[in-house]
Amino acid sequence: MKLRFWGVRGSFAMCGREVLRYGGNTTSIELVAASGTRLLIDLGTGATELAKLLMQGEFGRGQGELPILLSHTHLDHIQGLPFFTPFFVKGNRIRIVGADPPGLSLQATLQNQLAPHYSPLNGLENLAAGVSIDTIVPGSTFTLGEFEVETALVPHGNMWTTAFRVTADGKVVTFLSDVEYPEPEAPLPEALHLARHADLLIHDAMHSDDDYQLRRGWGHSPARAAISVAEKAAVRRLALFHHSPDATDAMIDETVWRARAETKIELFAAAEGSYLEV
Amino acid sequence: MKITFWGVRGSYPVPGAATVRYGGQTSCVEIRTESGGCLIVDAGTGLRALGQKLSREGGVPRQFHVLLSHVHWDHIQGLPFFEPAYIPGNRIAVYALLTAADELDQVIGGITRHEFFPMPLERVPAQFQFIEVKPTVAMDIEDFHVLPIALNHPYGAVGYRVDADGTSVAYVADTAPFHEVLHKQHFLCGLEPLSHEDLAALAAMRAGLVAALRGVDTVVYDTHFLPEEYKRFPHYGHSTPDQALEICAEAGVRTLVLYHHAPSHSDDQMDEVAERYRQLGKAQGIEVVTSQEGMTLMVGAQEPR
Repeated sequence: MKLRFWGVRGSFAMCGREVLRYGGNTTSIELVAASGTRLLIDLGTGATELAKLLMQGEFGRGQGELPILLSHTHLDHIQGLPFFTPFFVKGNRIRIVGADPPGLSLQATLQNQLAPHYSPLNGLENLAAGVSIDTIVPGSTFTLGEFEVETALVPHGNMWTTAFRVTADGKVVTFLSDVEYPEPEAPLPEALHLARHADLLIHDAMHSDDDYQLRRGWGHSPARAAISVAEKAAVRRLALFHHSPDATDAMIDETVWRARAETKIELFAAAEGSYLEV
Repeated sequence: MKITFWGVRGSYPVPGAATVRYGGQTSCVEIRTESGGCLIVDAGTGLRALGQKLSREGGVPRQFHVLLSHVHWDHIQGLPFFEPAYIPGNRIAVYALLTAADELDQVIGGITRHEFFPMPLERVPAQFQFIEVKPTVAMDIEDFHVLPIALNHPYGAVGYRVDADGTSVAYVADTAPFHEVLHKQHFLCGLEPLSHEDLAALAAMRAGLVAALRGVDTVVYDTHFLPEEYKRFPHYGHSTPDQALEICAEAGVRTLVLYHHAPSHSDDQMDEVAERYRQLGKAQGIEVVTSQEGMTLMVGAQEPR
């Protein structure tokens, strides 16, 4: 399985020279199985960059097929949806798979994102390709093409995020972003279970330790929470993810150096760029 | 008076090496008078950096005025990240067209509900006030005399002419041109035939815009598309620099600022656009400036540039 980070930034798409190396686009991750089948996680602004690549191939001809896992509906995870050009080509088969936000339906939430006040698209029904929205119950396990997906609900400030364990080609990627545990060093059992022996763990590491003291309760983790999960779940590699919009490339470098000094787990900071072999 | 561009991009923010010079953040400008009066126009992602700067200026509590052209995401997405909103005692007045059945506070409140953003509007420490604007009905806001202007955009949008310090600046975004599509309150998947009433409405809107821009010093205009792009997407609600030049020439404007750049336009492409339209403008006696994130322009002929 290959993986490409199209967006690694948290909360807010950040532009400028200070963030060029890690990248400023918000969450979007592409997984590609050995056979070439794809799976996308989240529709942040990074998805608009992937869209350009997809449109050069079968999606430009209306023959593309793509399942998209949605961790939750905070804006930085869906803001690329109205600009994901494969939606505009009839024939493409695109499924959005995610949980209902608390007290709401996923369908209604995405419909509201495209409400006429907010978007000239004026509703999901005007996406030429159409979109099927499949609501899942977190905790369930299902298959999307060649990808086996195990899910769990994890706390994210005043709402919840769905975390994913994706298996393909005998390799495992676990996505645990937009999560804050009651104590950073005491990750919840469901998170550890999802990350068990993963080949790659992608974990929320939005805050530096100092910053975290000011941001407790906002739903994000410091790097030490990511390390704690990685160690306890004995993962092979850890990608620090969902970088703060205020974190420059130099600051992220420093976070990585500090984190490496704290653990024996192989780790790096997720960066927009080329395909990685899992 | 001076105007600073905090976000010049249309549709959605585009980080990356290809946009690092012109900037990737979406619509937001700051207009200041010589005495320090401050008006914010549009609350796209550029608003985040402006908010950080305004916080550093201090002076709590403060009153802020945010004029919205309309409430498409790229013009309001910065609001939840506006630092002064998290300082108790600050007051933030938001001005916008009442575009649809919902009340304005519900529209703005809607983007801060839990499914979209962690803190709901009613829990934000600053006090928000929502004020409806009506095209042609002028408002006096602090030192500024503000005239809202009806524009041609899906679900409606307004531009603003702002007079202060004996000079004037106008913000004309987002708008389609006025000859082949009339935006109403429904989805367009292409051009629709225009009735006589539609044509009359377009002519009236165009005349209203030209009249409002008459003699304005500096006009910031939605020039999202290049002519060849416009031909493919005439129903998207945006204009070209040529269409902006036509309106500005008719209104006797001194400086036209190209604004709301398409997300696909790279810096190199924007350099070409800037040079081409600088020349075209010069031939018509109009100075054409292409906006870049972080740029400040002095407004008024007496000011050195």
